[in-house]
Amino acid sequence: MRIICPVKRVPDTAAKKAVEPDLTLDRDGVEAVLNANDEWSIEEALRIKERTPGTEVVVLCVGPEQAQQTIRKALSYGLDGAIQVSDPGISGSDASGIASIVAGALADEEFDLVIMGNQSSDARTMLLPAMLAEYLDLPALTYCTKLDIDGDTVRAEREMPGGHQVVEAKLPAVVSVVEAINEPRYPSFKGIMAAKSKPVVVKDLQDVGLDAEMVGLEHAWTQVLEVTPRPPRQAGDKVEDDGSGTVGAKALADFLVARKFL
Amino acid sequence: MDFAIPEELTALRDSFARFLEREVRPLEAGVAPELARGEAGTPAQREAAAEVRRRACREGFYTAHMPESVGGWGLSALGVALLVEDAARSGLTLAGAAVGPPNPAAPSPLLLGLPPALRDRYLAPLMAGATTMCFALTEPEAGSDAAAIRTTARRDGDSWVLDGRKHYITNGARADLAVVFAVTDPERRARGGITAFVVPRGAYAVPRTQAVIDDSDIAELVFDGTRVPADHVVGEVGQGFRQAMGFLDAGRAAIGAHCLGTAEWCLDQAVAHARSRTAFGRPLAAFQGVSFPLAESKAEIEAMRWLTYHLAWQVDRGGPATPDSSIVKLFDTDRAYQIADRCLQVFGGQGLLAEGPIEARLRHLRVLRVVEGASEVHKLVIARALGLA
Ligand SMILES: Cc1cc2nc3c(=O)[nH]c(=O)nc-3n(C[C@H](O)[C@H](O)[C@H](O)COP(=O)(O)OP(=O)(O)OC[C@H]3O[C@@H](n4cnc5c(N)ncnc54)[C@H](O)[C@@H]3O)c2cc1C
Repeated sequence: MRIICPVKRVPDTAAKKAVEPDLTLDRDGVEAVLNANDEWSIEEALRIKERTPGTEVVVLCVGPEQAQQTIRKALSYGLDGAIQVSDPGISGSDASGIASIVAGALADEEFDLVIMGNQSSDARTMLLPAMLAEYLDLPALTYCTKLDIDGDTVRAEREMPGGHQVVEAKLPAVVSVVEAINEPRYPSFKGIMAAKSKPVVVKDLQDVGLDAEMVGLEHAWTQVLEVTPRPPRQAGDKVEDDGSGTVGAKALADFLVARKFL
Repeated sequence: MDFAIPEELTALRDSFARFLEREVRPLEAGVAPELARGEAGTPAQREAAAEVRRRACREGFYTAHMPESVGGWGLSALGVALLVEDAARSGLTLAGAAVGPPNPAAPSPLLLGLPPALRDRYLAPLMAGATTMCFALTEPEAGSDAAAIRTTARRDGDSWVLDGRKHYITNGARADLAVVFAVTDPERRARGGITAFVVPRGAYAVPRTQAVIDDSDIAELVFDGTRVPADHVVGEVGQGFRQAMGFLDAGRAAIGAHCLGTAEWCLDQAVAHARSRTAFGRPLAAFQGVSFPLAESKAEIEAMRWLTYHLAWQVDRGGPATPDSSIVKLFDTDRAYQIADRCLQVFGGQGLLAEGPIEARLRHLRVLRVVEGASEVHKLVIARALGLA
């Protein structure tokens, strides 16, 4: 079995973000990390690998040279190898552009499963898994909270408002996972050291069958028109209880009733 | 000159930070009310610390300083120092149980000097976090002058017979085994006449524990005709003093890092307090009487940092650790104590409360200026390096 885990290098969620004049994110000025949701997909891939002898898990990252750091991080969890797609023409691509690049990179690869996080913490479009499946012409099982592989079938529970769906598809398939699916392990020192010597295959746009006319900021299907910083958080209402508990309890109940929670 | 922390160590710190947040913080929350009441060393805290130790063993952090041949990571001294610093900087009381050094209860590379069968018996359970040890050098009549120890070991057939008394031994009452230093040749003493033995718990008496200002757990050990088999010598007969000094020297970067992390934590707390607490209609931070001591503390923390990292780097490349190890021990313990004291002052009355963030640290840092070579002893070493003694 061969599993591909697409991962993204994103600005640290705790960092203050700045925007470039072209309304793309300033990615150089802030600390970059591995997208948190990708840790769940990596963990899920590793669990399948542990249950299924002979499984190979490969990380795939579209990103500039500095994304090597993110790739090493992903490898340190115990993945087997990496593919990086790096090209100046990629900068500013939207979800569709990136999906087409990932699909291009996978065109010549053998794989049974693509497992990815449901979203990236910087853009949060949640579009990529479904778009990738479309480009690859494969079934998409998105927002999964549970995965089972049985022969050539993947069965998943999908998170839904108010419940979950059980769905299945024939392999190969594209799966996206959400936080509830697992608790990721920590990379061990052994994993960290081993990651330094794992193979990373670097490709450019031409290698993945695309050219600069098809991707990048200028050819994006979507356009960012405006960026507004989040307004500072307003101070909340403070309720002082008199020690009896009744003042606080009443205020809390009134608050919930007023907002129709009760 | 390259001051960059190697990428793999940054990645390792990241893993460790997660471990602390995910596994240690919830356990700490369980004992937080006790800690806030100033109660230390309760059964619940001991159990929580043992749980942290077991989990840290499972992940490998606790035994990271041990070589790969016995199941450790063979982590560099710099790597160990960074983990120790981060444990202290987290402010989690239980975080200290997640890393081996500088705690003498953790598995020690000294035990690599045991024959293979005894390594399996004594070292393997230590590596699994199932047991703990202690390092028994100091005696009532021999502290700073450790070569003056009076405990003796005499060969009798297939065994050694130990007689003497150790005191102030960290973890002495609870350890499953003690590494005990004893005189085997009174003529030669430090020059080939002191030997280290591994002695299992039960073979010696622990007449009493001793109460100290910082809640650390020390005890007296008594050897009265204590018999151990001949193969229980650690390393070579006569090499004990050299081993003891080597062990202490190797630990200096870890003690320094522990001081560094503790000082950083105290400063973090004091800075936050100075910004949020108001007096005379302004935040404390607006008064230079408050901000300048904290600025000085920051400058000293950076000096501690680079002295400590440099020592670790020196150890890693196999260079001589003396007198740098003494410089780190002297400077870091002294500066960390002064910094904690300044930070305590910023908290006013709250600084003196057991539930406050600084009080227990200040007491602990005071102890570090005495143990593992008091400050004066390290000044002697530095003076000697200057050709002054
Ligand atoms: C909490 C705690 C934990 C400990 N844990 C351990 C342990 O696990 N294992 C272990 O073996 N020991 C342990 N010790 C012992 C510790 O290492 C000794 O206390 C320390 O070495 C000092 O020895 P001493 O107490 O006998 O003081 P002394 O040697 O009597 O010194 C008293 C004072 O005189 C100063 N002094 C001594 N000689 C000179 C000199 N030549 N010039 C200038 N000043 C000098 C000293 O610096 C000190 O200030 C521990 C002690 C404590 C308090």
